[in-house]
Amino acid sequence: MKIIRYFIPPDAWKVPVIILLGVFTGLGVFVFDLSKASSYLSDKPETCVNCHIMAPQYATWNHNSHREYATCIDCHVPHNNVANKYYFKAKDGLRHSTMFALRLEPQVIFIKQAGREVVHDNCIRCHQYLLTDEKMKLQSEMFMQIRNGRSCVDCHREVPHSRVRSLSSVPYARVPLPGSPVPKWLNKLMDKPD
Amino acid sequence: MKPITELIKKRPIIGWMLFLATIVVVFLLGLLASSIVERRAETLFVYTPKVEHSQFEPRSSVWGENFPREYESWLSTSDTSFTSKYNGSSTIDMLAVDPRLVVLWAGYAFSKDYKQSRGHAYAINDIRKILRTGSPMNGVKSPQPNTCWTCKGPDVPRLMNEMGIANFYKGTWDALGSQVVNPIGCADCHDAKTMDLHISRPALIEAFNRMGKDITKATHQEMRSLVCAQCHVEYYFNKKKIEGVQYLTFPWDKGSSADSIEKYYDEIGFSDWTHGLSKAPMLKAQHPDYEISLTGTHFSRGVSCADCHMPYMSEGGQKFTDHHIQSPLNNIANSCQVCHREETARLVKDVYDRQDKIIENRDKLEEILVHAHVEAKAAWDLGATDEQMTLILTDIRHAQWRWDFSAASHGASFHSPVETGRIIASGIVIGQNARLKLSRLLASLGKTNEIPYPDISTKAKAQTFIGLDMEKLNSDKAEFIKNVIPEWLDEAMKREKGYKTVEL
Repeated sequence: MKIIRYFIPPDAWKVPVIILLGVFTGLGVFVFDLSKASSYLSDKPETCVNCHIMAPQYATWNHNSHREYATCIDCHVPHNNVANKYYFKAKDGLRHSTMFALRLEPQVIFIKQAGREVVHDNCIRCHQYLLTDEKMKLQSEMFMQIRNGRSCVDCHREVPHSRVRSLSSVPYARVPLPGSPVPKWLNKLMDKPD
Repeated sequence: MKPITELIKKRPIIGWMLFLATIVVVFLLGLLASSIVERRAETLFVYTPKVEHSQFEPRSSVWGENFPREYESWLSTSDTSFTSKYNGSSTIDMLAVDPRLVVLWAGYAFSKDYKQSRGHAYAINDIRKILRTGSPMNGVKSPQPNTCWTCKGPDVPRLMNEMGIANFYKGTWDALGSQVVNPIGCADCHDAKTMDLHISRPALIEAFNRMGKDITKATHQEMRSLVCAQCHVEYYFNKKKIEGVQYLTFPWDKGSSADSIEKYYDEIGFSDWTHGLSKAPMLKAQHPDYEISLTGTHFSRGVSCADCHMPYMSEGGQKFTDHHIQSPLNNIANSCQVCHREETARLVKDVYDRQDKIIENRDKLEEILVHAHVEAKAAWDLGATDEQMTLILTDIRHAQWRWDFSAASHGASFHSPVETGRIIASGIVIGQNARLKLSRLLASLGKTNEIPYPDISTKAKAQTFIGLDMEKLNSDKAEFIKNVIPEWLDEAMKREKGYKTVEL
């Protein structure tokens, strides 16, 4: 209570402080809306192309056989428990948005080790029966080592994005990028088409 | 703790520090906001054209300046080197391959000339050369309406915009010969401003409206089939909608299966022509590729036309849609093997197996139909009455419709082998019923021995059998190609010089 009282300005200052706080909050809301922050709570693949640098990943996924069965979130976020899912999503998302806002993205994006492990686990999540074949357990020890020591994508390298993945690899791909941030009603007022 | 005001009163430096800190925070927040604004604005410039042109620019070469890769792959539709077991990308004279077709289409233009089509690049060339469009010159008009141009190229939306839809369909085929000169290309499927897929032909939009569906709500994935469905569908020319206009219409009001389209045609009393031998009111199926695909496994698994006929390809470090629209059999790696891991030869065999099995019964149905037409003619010759013939002719109409629906659809036996097999099977039953009724009728007219199957072993023999003067048709066409086509091209070239584009 004391701390709160500490921040309460004297009567004479109240109006300018309210205005200033309003400016901060308004700017915050603006950034929230502009970055489509609420869309990050969904699992839609369209959210991932909020940043246009993800267009190659979206376009290649959209032309791959996984398209009908798995979206971005299904492979790139852990699904062992809900907390871990959202923790990982927040961690990766914050890193991505920081890199994007500060223009730190490389020309060719490679997955990080943590992401690789998540993808590998998710391959197994769906395709586990390809791995738990009883016959396979009877193979030699060396065989098991080779199997366990490698990740799925070490061999299945074209799945699902293929190896062509630079930022400029899919010019003109029809990807649902976000449009102009200027709302329709404002364009209408200014008599400009969308 | 003392209120902050007192702290500042005692040490003004704290006030100044607070002020500076606020400036820094707002400054940084502003930077962040503007960075996000800029990065979002970048998406608006992902597509930066080199040339600006209108939606109605018919020349794909102009659109191609902005999209050289897509354009170059589109140019490959002129390739004619691929041959598969039954089809391919070259011209095949289907009447020579299967002379039974001549008898099935007796009295209709298809009996003169019917060829396996080449790539989109030849759409204009081949419609000029086919005997069905006639040889309009020296005051003689084409037997076909302008409606026949509708699917041939991006000049069509341009003309529809200039003339109005019904006006475009009006008149005979020769009237727009100098206007429609660019083969199927960019403007047929793409929006000039956004490059999104769009529908340029009214018939599909009208059909959706009549079914109570809104085509503007279609997803991108659905559009990757719907742009094809503007043309690769069953259609008819509605002469009742507007006086003197053969209005292009899709008969989907009752559904898009062979049976429901047949019912639709029966109810409106439509027939394409009266058969030359049997006098049956016939239906000609166009190419119900989309309708048959809808019933197939690939479609129900979410695969669109473009997924197989225009798969992703890479060139250098770039990936883009292969605009060489063609049989996936010529590109197994990029089409089938994206999902199926079997060997190429094995996948091709799967396709051929289906085609072999479908064609086996399709040929049987063709023979039944030839018999039925010839026997019906014999019945007329022996003095059968209209009343005696009506049901028989309806059977012939339905049986041949079902044969044609499966035969005319490109790739039907692969797109949906079970449905195609079902349609042919029902055609065989109806066709045999017609022949049963015919043999009873013929017996009652005193004819108890078999009506012989005609000698139609070659195209020439079959065409003589139905009484066509091919020599005259061919020589007229040669003269038309030599004299009239260059005039059309001259006129078109002069017009296109006036088109405006802006280099950016």
